[in-house]
Amino acid sequence: MFDVPWSDYAPALWKGLQLTVLYTVLGFAGAAVFGLLLALLRLSKSRILRVPAALYTEIFKNIPLLAIIFIIYFGLASVGIKLGAIAAGSLSLILFYAAYLSETFRAAIAGVHAGQQEAAEALGLGRISTFQLVIFPQALRLALPGTNTFLVDLLKSTSLLVTISAAELMSVGRLITSATFRALEVYLVIAAIYFCLCYPLSQGLLWLERKVRAGIPLTPRRRRRFKRAAVLLEQEGVLV
Amino acid sequence: MTVPANEAAEAIAHVEAIAHERLAADAPEVVVRIENLSKSFDGRLVLDNVHLEVHKSNIVAIIGQSGSGKTTLMRCVNLLEIPERADMEVAGEKIFSGDQLLCKDLAKLRQTVGMVFQRFNLFPHLTAVENIMLAQLRAGVPEEEAMERAVGLLRRVRLAHRGMAYPDNMSGGEQQRVAIARALALQPSVLLFDEPTSALDPESTGEVLRVMRELARDGMTMVLVTHEVPFARDVADWVVFVDGGHIVEEGEPAEVLRRPSHKRTQAFLANFQASH
Repeated sequence: MFDVPWSDYAPALWKGLQLTVLYTVLGFAGAAVFGLLLALLRLSKSRILRVPAALYTEIFKNIPLLAIIFIIYFGLASVGIKLGAIAAGSLSLILFYAAYLSETFRAAIAGVHAGQQEAAEALGLGRISTFQLVIFPQALRLALPGTNTFLVDLLKSTSLLVTISAAELMSVGRLITSATFRALEVYLVIAAIYFCLCYPLSQGLLWLERKVRAGIPLTPRRRRRFKRAAVLLEQEGVLV
Repeated sequence: MTVPANEAAEAIAHVEAIAHERLAADAPEVVVRIENLSKSFDGRLVLDNVHLEVHKSNIVAIIGQSGSGKTTLMRCVNLLEIPERADMEVAGEKIFSGDQLLCKDLAKLRQTVGMVFQRFNLFPHLTAVENIMLAQLRAGVPEEEAMERAVGLLRRVRLAHRGMAYPDNMSGGEQQRVAIARALALQPSVLLFDEPTSALDPESTGEVLRVMRELARDGMTMVLVTHEVPFARDVADWVVFVDGGHIVEEGEPAEVLRRPSHKRTQAFLANFQASH
């Protein structure tokens, strides 16, 4: 059944897995930052900011990721802009997923009740504090489910980078196949590794969503604050 | 007996100074002074040359139909609405003159003027205690002190047992009382209430009005836009009836609410009594 000498390929697979994680982290972090920027531009009052952001989103949502990868890696190289696989791969993922994430973020920010902005202003919070302390945390909660879906989707999409020999898991799989000619076995193992990455990730994110929805404090600072408040309030309870 | 002229002048000045001090102490301190306030939305004039004074420890109730401009009038006090023209002074600070915004520090003005909304607008991602702490921390109050003050305020609105609850798990009346505590956290000189009970059931309304009565008793200066005519009659020191962007009638509640002199006020109160 198992004809591939897997122990020989373990170091190569390990390297590939690390690169898959690297592409995922770089791609997602970049896409989240760029996507948030796009969302803010699209919510701006100024048309000059809004229109280009909307145009960008529509264009990149309607082009296949593979086409973007080819344009960035092969296309740009043909006019003298040569990017390495890591740079080209991450950039492609960022450009593509930022468009989708910006839609999720925009809906989430717009979904925060208008009264929240007003209440924050009435308490003397400035524009930045209002966004940082009131709007953003609520938008993040609303955006969490959609964002999590895109994160898992992005991880799986890193496999498309096999086309530019990005040395991630799928590329390693192709190398092993060309050496052993056991395509079914190799790709089943590669698929299993993807599953072992994606399933715990999506379950972990669901767990995080539930925690956040239940209002359980996640940062140490907020946990300390909860503890102190509970102690103070308990003393109140005795006095009441 | 002759008194040197300079001594006499000094004595007179002294007496005058004392008299002046007395006068200043007797004259009610004006917390909010609004003159010549005009405001329009999309070319429609919603406030037309309005004058209003709110004295310290007084409760001014603004009544009137929906769309009469009463909420806009109140929202101009903390500059949530920017007037077109006005001369306004809040807690001794000139904030607006003619068509010029003089208030350099909106944050400071809004710490001086607390506000309670119709739909509570508590921050749903924060617990009751955190809701009351947020603006304090932002204003530089140390964490410990902010929390102690928040707990004290929760006790004042009788909700110490709900301190760790999130707004979504509280009743409307509880949320509105937390909102009042939140508005008090920065020790404002005046509190604004925008129809604080119109989203509440009768029981919750009772809880909120009780807290407001206690604030009134403690000498809090308040401006409230309300549909609660009986509450205005009981608690307010001054009632203002707004119609079509004008203050058509104002005075002591007994006068305005029992013996309204203006036709529009009579019609409004007759309608109100018919529907309640």
